[in-house]
This record gives sequence, C-alpha cells and structure tokens, in this order.
Amino acid sequence: MANVMLEVKELTTKYITRFGEDVYAVDHVSLKVEEGKALGIAGESGCGKSTLALSLMGYYFAPLHYTSGEIIIDGRNISGMNPDEVRKSILGKEIAYIPQAAMNALNPTRKIIHFIEDVIQEHELYITKKDIYDRARKLFETLGLPAEVLQKYPVELSGGMKQRTVIAISVLLLPKVLIADEPSSALDVTSQKMVIKMLRQLMETGLISSLIFITHELPLLYNVTDDIMVMYAGQIVEKANSKEAVFDPIHPYAKGLMGSIIVPEKGLRDVKLTAIPGVPPNLKRPPAGCRFAERCKYVQPECKVHSVDLRELEGGRTYRCIFSEEQLRKAYQNG
Amino acid sequence: MKGYRKYFLNKLAWFLVTLVCAFLLNFILPRLMPGDPVAAIVARMAQGMSNSSGVQAIYEQYTELFGTNKPMLEQFFLYTRNVARGDFGFSFSQYPRTVADVLSASIWWTVCLQFPAIIVGWLIGNSLGALAAYLKGGFDKVIMPVSIFISNFPPFGMAVLLMVIFGVNLKWFPTSGGYGFDLIPSFTWSFMWSVIVHYQLPFWSIVLIAIGGQAIGMRSMSIYELNADYVKYARFLGIKDRKIVGYVFRNAMLPQITGLALSVGTMVGGALVAEIIFSYPGLGSTILTAVRGQDYPLVSATTLIITLMVLSANFIIEILYGIIDPRIKAAQAD
Repeated sequence: MANVMLEVKELTTKYITRFGEDVYAVDHVSLKVEEGKALGIAGESGCGKSTLALSLMGYYFAPLHYTSGEIIIDGRNISGMNPDEVRKSILGKEIAYIPQAAMNALNPTRKIIHFIEDVIQEHELYITKKDIYDRARKLFETLGLPAEVLQKYPVELSGGMKQRTVIAISVLLLPKVLIADEPSSALDVTSQKMVIKMLRQLMETGLISSLIFITHELPLLYNVTDDIMVMYAGQIVEKANSKEAVFDPIHPYAKGLMGSIIVPEKGLRDVKLTAIPGVPPNLKRPPAGCRFAERCKYVQPECKVHSVDLRELEGGRTYRCIFSEEQLRKAYQNG
Repeated sequence: MKGYRKYFLNKLAWFLVTLVCAFLLNFILPRLMPGDPVAAIVARMAQGMSNSSGVQAIYEQYTELFGTNKPMLEQFFLYTRNVARGDFGFSFSQYPRTVADVLSASIWWTVCLQFPAIIVGWLIGNSLGALAAYLKGGFDKVIMPVSIFISNFPPFGMAVLLMVIFGVNLKWFPTSGGYGFDLIPSFTWSFMWSVIVHYQLPFWSIVLIAIGGQAIGMRSMSIYELNADYVKYARFLGIKDRKIVGYVFRNAMLPQITGLALSVGTMVGGALVAEIIFSYPGLGSTILTAVRGQDYPLVSATTLIITLMVLSANFIIEILYGIIDPRIKAAQAD
C-alpha cells in the first residue's frame, strides 16, 4: 500500500458569526489521500468545499474555528500543534494552497521574485537571493512559464499567467499535499486547460506528492483526479473513484448533481439536464435527519428523524443514505 | 522607464498649466476688490494737511510709483516681468517695505509651524489608524469615535479651545505671538525658549485636527487591505504576520500619501486660521493684514507662494506615487 500523504479523521470546523452563532460548515469529514493520487471534492456553491480546503491546512483564523478531529500529514499529526508552529513548519512546506481568487492573491506592490524571496526565506534561513532566483527560474522553466515573469509586478501579468504564477509559487517548497481551491473557475477555457495541464504536470514530475482539487466543474475533476468526494451541507455524501462518481453515482444528491452538469463523454450527448429543486439547508440550524431530505425525490418519513451514517461498499466506496445500493438503483430505473 | 518618463512629463505639463492659471487668478482677484488702496495710504500720509492740491500731488506720486494708474493689461505685463525677475514691488499697506521684505520675515514662521505640524499629525494619525485596524477591539473602539470627534472640529474652534484651556485657564503657554513681545530676535537661549513655548499651542491645534482625519482614513484602508486575498494567501504560505503587516501598511499608505499632499493644501485655508488666532507672525497674519489694507502686491505674492507650495507638494507626491505604486505606472504607460 502506498504512503498516505494526508489523512483526515472526523474533522469538524465551524464559523462563528458576528452574532455569536455557530455554523458547522465542515461536519465530521474523513478522507485519505495516498502518494501520487489526486482527490476531487465536488458540490454546489455553499456546501463547504472551500471551508474544507481552509480547514485542511490546520491553521485557523476568525471567523473559522477548529472544533474536533485530526489532520495527519505524512504520518505527522498536526491537529494539536501550536498555530505558530503550524505556520512555520507546515504551511507552504508540507501542505500548500492555491486560493480561489488567484487574481488578487499576489501583493500588487511587490515584484513576483521579491514575494518568492519572502516565501522561501520564511522557511529556509540561510539561503542567498541568488540561490532563490536560480531555484525560482528553474521551477518556472520546468512549468513552462517565462522567467521574465519573476521581474514583473502582478498587474503586468494576464489572468491566466497570474494563476499559473500562483500555482508555481505554491509548489516552491515541494509540498506533500497541494490543495487547489477552484483554481480555474475565474478563467477562460484555454487558460483553464493550461491550469489543468499544469496540475497534472506537478503530479507527474513529483513536485507535489498528492493533490486535493476542489471545484464545482465535474468535467475538470474527472480529468484530473483519481477519486471524487461529493459534499452536501458540510458532509460527505458520496466517495468513489472518479469514473464511478461521475457516471454511476449512488447517492440521490450525487445523482442529481451529475445529472445537472454536462460531461463531454460519448453516450452522454443526448442526456437531458435536470435541476435539483430547492435550496441547501441553513447550517446555523442543520436538520436533525438526513440533510438532503428536504430536496430528495425518494425521501421517507424516517429520513427526517435520525442522522444517517456513511455506508461502506466493497472497494471502499461510501455513500450516506438509508437505502441500500440495490434499492437506490431500482428507484433510479423507475424514474 | 519609457512609461515613467511619459508619466513624469504628463505630470509636469499639468503642473505648468495649473501654475499659469493660478498666477492669472492671483493677479486679477485681489484687484477686483472694491476700493482704492492708494487713497487709504494718502489719507494716512496726508493727515492734518489742508492743502488739497498737495494731497492730490501725493496721490499722483503714489499711483505713479505703484503703477495703479496704468490699464489693467499693462499692469499685468509689468507685474509678470517683475515677478520673473524676482521683484514683487512695494507693499501698499506697509510702505516703504517691499513685498519681498515682508514675506521673508513671515514665511519661515509659517513653514516652520505648518510643515512639522502636518507631518507629525500625519505620522501619528496613520500610526493610530493602522494600530486600530490591526489590534481591533477596545483600542479601535476608543480611537475611532475620538478621531471622528476631533477631526470635525473647525480649526479656529480647536485653536480657541486650546487657548482657553492651556493659555488662559492653566496659563501654561502664552496666548499670542511667535516670541515674547519684550525680546529681540536673536540666537540666545532665552529667545529660543520663548519661541518654543509660543510654538506649542498653534502647533498642537493643527496636529490634533490632522491626527483625527488621517487616523480615520488609514483605519479603513488598513481594514480593507487586511482582508485582501493576498493576505490570506501569504499566511497560507507560512509567511510571518510581521512581514504581511508590512505589505498591508505599505499598500494602505498609498492613498494616505495623497492625503498628505492635500493637507499641505489645507495649510492655506484652515490652518492659517491658527496663526491669526494666536497672532503668530506667519503668512496667515500677513495675508490678513494685506487683504484688509487692499495691498494687491502683497496679496498676490502671498497667494502665489502658497499656490507654489501646494502645487509643488502635489507634484512631488505624484512623482513619488509613480515610483512606489507599480499600478499607477502601468495605467499611465499606455
């Protein structure tokens, strides 16, 4: 069995609003990413994808707070660590992050190379500016980025270039886990493709050991990741390998999500898109039962009474529903 | 560098255009005041004279001397030529002193009072604003309302308030003048000490108001920058807070630099009031007596100097801006 790069056990984090209310945006999430693997996280807007990304870093600042659970990076448990220590020895080095809005992720008044110096010097005390420059240039060349970018200010770069620069900066210290939070959502299709290519390249060249890729665009996920996790209202509702998750979902929400998106594959051309009616529950007052019950076509009275646990199938596939796999498949066939 | 030269030339051109307009207005506006300044001087000179032809002769001699008998256009060209040579002519109200003489006696009082006051106010205000944004909580809750309260004081109100509290009631500081009225300007300890003591009230009346406004501006800019995406990203790369705070305050400071240029502008309007209230012997008091005495050359020269100071301050700051903020250069380059 390959090395486990990131293991998360029952991680729960919450936002505390201005009015002192708790919002559990990540609720008992467990996941595991092995070396050389990419995990995708899908779900509609507001389901807790980005919060999960932030929570995985092990470093929390208001309004996000840690509640319970464990984060283990390459065998090292970081959940009990002092935040300053996490920042110094984990962030950027062990686990790195590509933000959602890469457009504004760089300080507008600092040249790229100076920012890179700041990042590297933070983690390696005795390194000369020349060494930093050489390392940065080499990395940029490997990733197909022109070295001139280093001498520029962020405003002088195009959107796609800025995004790719941010990705390059994130992997400067060869992190074991890279968390990419919708790295392509603000880009045009061509730039998106370049970003995806770059993420794959990072995996192939071993610049990163594992990837967690968060997006609401399933076709992208299918192209990059090995496994896909579907989130709904802060919980995992289904976890499967990419192919099964996209083409053969079990959970009614996952089914609905996949049905509402075009995946450009043969045989799917004539499939009609369907929307899921209703809106996700308010996480300030999560429902007692299944969180998807209000919107589920196959809802039963008991769904709304007890919370539903994850069921595990053979091969490690999991889903969260009271129905068995056969029952659900039969229901889907009957429409 | 090419982009920067273009930026520089553009700013320089605007500087010159504004200067010409201001120069024109400086000449015309005082002369549009109703009344005849020469008549006032003659009335003073001819006190007790009963000979009307003698009074007439004195009047004509002065109009000839000051050139007020010539058409306005000719006066303007003469004035322009003289100013270009550095000659501002005679002061009407303080004749036979020349304008240059009057100004050189008063300008340093103003410069030495206003510039340090503006800079100190700016520095303290920005530091407090940045701290309020960074520390939040109780510190912010105290600084903010106090800043709003103080910054909305009219300059004369603050001056009068300080004068009443510290000058009249507590008698810690003198209430008027630039130095003790019984002293002669010299480099002696007693004179220096007197200058320092007289300096305090006008100085702090300007500083206090500046602090409030700058603190409010800096606080909101800093809060905006502290929540910017690049701050979050830098944190997640493990960069220390100390360094990130450096990024944030540099960026938040940029608009405040414009604020500094503008406050050099208010030096003319609001802050000169402090000089008048404290009878401080600077440009403020000079301009007041000049306007009262319809002293065209003195009014024109004073306003010209103030215009030059404001324009130069703005020009220098815009040039600096182009250097410290790459976004400005990028926007101006095309």
